[in-house]
Amino acid sequence: MTAPDITKLIVRTSMKDRAAFDLLYRHTSAKLFGVCLRILRDRAEAEEALQDVYIKIWAKADRFAVSELSPISWLVAIARNHSIDRIRARRRATVELDEATGIVDPTPGPEALTMAAGERARVFSCLDELENDRAAAVKAAYLSGFSYAELAERFGVPLNTMRTWLRRSLMKLRECLER
Amino acid sequence: MNPAHDNDPRDDDTLAAEYVVGVLSADERRAVSARIESDPAFARLVDQWEAHLSPMDEFVPAEPPASAKRKLDERLFANGPAEAGSRSSGPAGLWSSLALWRGLTAAAVVAVALLAVQPYLGQPGQPEQGAGRLVASLAPQQSDVHYFVVYDARENDIGLSHVTGERGADQDFELWVIEGDQPPASLGVVPAGTSVHLAVDQALSRKIEQGAVFAISLEPRGGSPTGQPTGPVVAAGDLREI
Repeated sequence: MTAPDITKLIVRTSMKDRAAFDLLYRHTSAKLFGVCLRILRDRAEAEEALQDVYIKIWAKADRFAVSELSPISWLVAIARNHSIDRIRARRRATVELDEATGIVDPTPGPEALTMAAGERARVFSCLDELENDRAAAVKAAYLSGFSYAELAERFGVPLNTMRTWLRRSLMKLRECLER
Repeated sequence: MNPAHDNDPRDDDTLAAEYVVGVLSADERRAVSARIESDPAFARLVDQWEAHLSPMDEFVPAEPPASAKRKLDERLFANGPAEAGSRSSGPAGLWSSLALWRGLTAAAVVAVALLAVQPYLGQPGQPEQGAGRLVASLAPQQSDVHYFVVYDARENDIGLSHVTGERGADQDFELWVIEGDQPPASLGVVPAGTSVHLAVDQALSRKIEQGAVFAISLEPRGGSPTGQPTGPVVAAGDLREI
């Protein structure tokens, strides 16, 4: 399904068109479920999260028009943010979970979000301009939803150091992306 | 203002970046979510960070079990599938949906948000025509005046939904259509009301269909005395098919 097609379905969903919503679910739920699983690493919780995500999509589809994001990026952002809210709320150590379940790293053949391979190459070449561990911290935060405290523990640095690392890295990353 | 750490001053841009990358605590994320809802400028910062970082994303698609969709439908529609059905695509559904845009002043900082809803709005089985209904957001231009426009070629009708912004006493909003380098042509004074309609003649229909820009200017009561805009343009947006 192409981006314009998904755009149409989101627009129709904002008009409370259930048939469009069903189609949107059919064409995007595997992706969004993949995002929920990646962050939550728990199938039952990811299923609940997925329902919450589509309830938000139903309620907030009209906001898509004021976003600069591509339709899939917009949907994924909802799934990502909701999943991160959930892991923060459950207050279990993500670090332990991650060791327990072993489904942390993207398995072979993960699907990149962006349709434009160029954009993806660009963000990774900008990440390469950062020091290795800092680039790794940015990626771990973004892909796995680690908090500052979890990142500090994983990378063996004080919390404030991690904050400084990450903030500077994000600003450098953006500067590179806008270059 | 800062939801967490003392001695840890953060500007909004940093906070938006931290929210998007996902490192904030539960309390901080709640505070940021609330702010996204209420502060369009901040919401835009978050959106820009999402756009910067999203190319990094990757995931393994996984088919959710069928039960997930069933439960979703129960949660969303259990208390009134009939109502949900009746709201699909009809004019009432459209306008009530557009009413949701009210307060969405995020649009104020987006240059133009525009959507062409034909053929998506077409009822199943309804013949589709080349030019149908189009929607545009007339975004504020140094004002808080925001209108949504729905143009219906079949009915030669323009529907205007008032989102935000008030006209002063003794003033009117006037709607203009501007085609290329041509002088603006008036579509008339916008009647007061949240949802109003203006008739469009054929010459104007052609301009609209050729991709003209809409603008709203602030004029003396009764409309421009000169036939051209005399007051500031308070909202503008273009309309084209996507």
